[in-house]
Amino acid sequence: GQDLTTPALEQVTNLNTSNGLYVEYEVLLPGDSATAVEKNISLDSEVKIELSCRLDDKYSDMEILQVTWKKGNETISHISKTKNSWSIRLLISDNSKLGSYTCTVKGKEEFSVTFHLQGKLLPKIEGREKAVISYEGDSAVLICKSYGYTPIAWTWYMTNGSEQIAINGSLLLDKYVINGVSPNVTQLKILKLTSEDGGVYWCEATFVLGKSKGKLKLKVLSLMVPLKPFLAIVAEVVILVAVIFLCELCSKKREKHAEDEKEFDQIEQLKSEESNGVENSSARHRKV
Amino acid sequence: PSPAATGPAPGPPDGGWGWVVVFGAFISIGFAYAFPKGIAIFFKEIQGFFGTSYSEIAWVSSIMLATTYGAGPISSILVNRYGSRPVVIFGGLLCGIGMVSAAFCTSILQLYICVGFITGFGLALNLQPSVIIIGKYFLKRRPIANGLAMAGSPVMLCTLAPLNQFLFDNFGWRGSFLILGAILLNCCVAGALFRPIGAAKASVKTQSVEEGKEVLKIEVTKDAMEMNSSTNVPVESKTEEEEAKDCCEKVNKYLDFSLFKHRGFLIYLIGNVLMFLGFFAPIVFLAPYAKHIGIDEYSAAFLLSILAIVDMIARPATGIIANSKWVRPRIQYFFSFSIAFNGTCHLLCPLASGYTGLVVYSVFFGLAFGMVCAMLFETLMDLVGATRFTSAVGLVTIAECCTILLGPPIGGTLIDTFGDYKYMFIKCGAVMVLAGTFLFIMNYYNYRMLAKEEKRKAKEEDPKSVRTENEGRNNWNKETVQDGPELEPLTEEQEGLKKDVNGT
Repeated sequence: GQDLTTPALEQVTNLNTSNGLYVEYEVLLPGDSATAVEKNISLDSEVKIELSCRLDDKYSDMEILQVTWKKGNETISHISKTKNSWSIRLLISDNSKLGSYTCTVKGKEEFSVTFHLQGKLLPKIEGREKAVISYEGDSAVLICKSYGYTPIAWTWYMTNGSEQIAINGSLLLDKYVINGVSPNVTQLKILKLTSEDGGVYWCEATFVLGKSKGKLKLKVLSLMVPLKPFLAIVAEVVILVAVIFLCELCSKKREKHAEDEKEFDQIEQLKSEESNGVENSSARHRKV
Repeated sequence: PSPAATGPAPGPPDGGWGWVVVFGAFISIGFAYAFPKGIAIFFKEIQGFFGTSYSEIAWVSSIMLATTYGAGPISSILVNRYGSRPVVIFGGLLCGIGMVSAAFCTSILQLYICVGFITGFGLALNLQPSVIIIGKYFLKRRPIANGLAMAGSPVMLCTLAPLNQFLFDNFGWRGSFLILGAILLNCCVAGALFRPIGAAKASVKTQSVEEGKEVLKIEVTKDAMEMNSSTNVPVESKTEEEEAKDCCEKVNKYLDFSLFKHRGFLIYLIGNVLMFLGFFAPIVFLAPYAKHIGIDEYSAAFLLSILAIVDMIARPATGIIANSKWVRPRIQYFFSFSIAFNGTCHLLCPLASGYTGLVVYSVFFGLAFGMVCAMLFETLMDLVGATRFTSAVGLVTIAECCTILLGPPIGGTLIDTFGDYKYMFIKCGAVMVLAGTFLFIMNYYNYRMLAKEEKRKAKEEDPKSVRTENEGRNNWNKETVQDGPELEPLTEEQEGLKKDVNGT
């Protein structure tokens, strides 16, 4: 059978490398009474948690044979150990990750604690982390996706100052168009953008169990913004091309100058030779 | 009687301004190859914006690639007529205009035209002339020059990918297209560096060559009359032949179709057309394959970076190796070997398990890819000579156009049908090993035929060795004149090299 917990932990270790924000729950063993220790944790949204069981100092000399973490009957392998506490890290992303997690410490005596993770997790809605950029007069498309579960309904909100205003009926004239591309995806198209349309938008998905939101940011720029780098680069190109052609003209003129001088010298040489020859022949004539 | 008034004219410079030209070609070739791949970053957003499917968006890239390769002959004709420089500058302007107008597009069809056709055509006018002008500036160090110039492609790709992402995050896709249009105008700068060479000298040379031709005619008639009485027939047929040749020469001046009778050219054409069926598909599917076997997105993208970095180093290195005196005369074998090596990598890829295996594959693939690309145009130049290369490259690219476009979709169909990537790798590997073997065998045959022809020529020239050195050079001039527009004949030593290496 598939080990449900190990993939979650693999994701967890990946996340650990990117940011280490875990909610920690620690229980001290063996606890007050002789009965098994239990702890209830209520969750309502996706969260990264670290569960650890710590052995009381008075047992620090006890030889420890084995420490196991289990979810139900399945053993969790990635246990991280510090001085006398053993912990596991979990990413609770959907309802399947909820349940009972038990830590058992076996030595001369056996202690255990069970964490009950309860609650109802709503599916995550994906908006966009980076801002959507559009231009004045253009239109913008904001897309929200729901993972795994299909919502009953979608609602879009825009923020005006600190208020969230639903985009419905009266506003839905020629400015906003809401499309359902597919059951899990919703699309808000905003036409004829102005700079005031920029800001935060929320898409809310309604499920049987509750509502879940996704966040999107919209930035509306004027055409001047990209125009400046554009003109800068065009200017650079024009200058470089001009410089290259000028250098070439200069070096050509210099070459031509040098060639002309050479030709001039050669003609002078020939002339002097001719004149010498003429003198000689006339001299010969005279002699004869 | 000495016909060549200029005396022994210098060959290609093999340095000096040539290295500046290599830099310009580096930029130009880099944009031509890397740009179609680089704009893929914008596709997801544009797809959402216009509400189309991904395959409709992917057509933009395909049209661009098809136009860049398909417009090859047009590029060749223009370079034959006007030289490299004006064509590249015009190409740069076209690219800029294409992308700037793409920034204001309101439908996917307009994107096809602006980004696909106009920019693609502009890139075609960049690619071919850049490769051609390297052949005009280099002979002895040509493989190095080619390797360095072709290295532009991976370097530009590594630069464009993060740059495009940055532009997209800050300006959206419209603003990015506008700025990319300006960046593409830098191809005009590259074009400005392509100083024409051989043109001015050629006009002087053609004069002296024509003088030489006349002198030769007189000599031949004299000889013929000396040798036997029925001399009128050979002289007349010679004049008729020359008339027919003049007409063909006119057509061939624009696009040399006589290349289709050239043995080396045909070998190259068939081998390369076959090779391109399996050349690009593995790159397209490397990242999806990695994700398919469970590797995360960032590591999969990193595989492509490894490929690009190894490629970057492999290209100039291959150029240097190909230039060495052991490899240069047998460069065709080296080329066939690298194609077969590339194919073997693909065949072994399905055996790679896990991330480490794929990293090793990426390294070897990058190496093989770089080797093939570095020698892609060098081998063609080697086979047909620098003068006919202008037309050859145009004809080759339009033939390759079809298989380049077919390669990835065929691979995609194989993946979809069998649900497994290994058949795509096997197909690509098999095609390339086949192409490599074909080229190896056919080039062995070609080298032998060339050696035989040289022996025959040497025998024919023996009884005429009574003539002076100048007339001997005239014979050589006559042969080369039939090939079309001219470079000055090479000096003694380069002549020897060319005879060994080029077929006529």
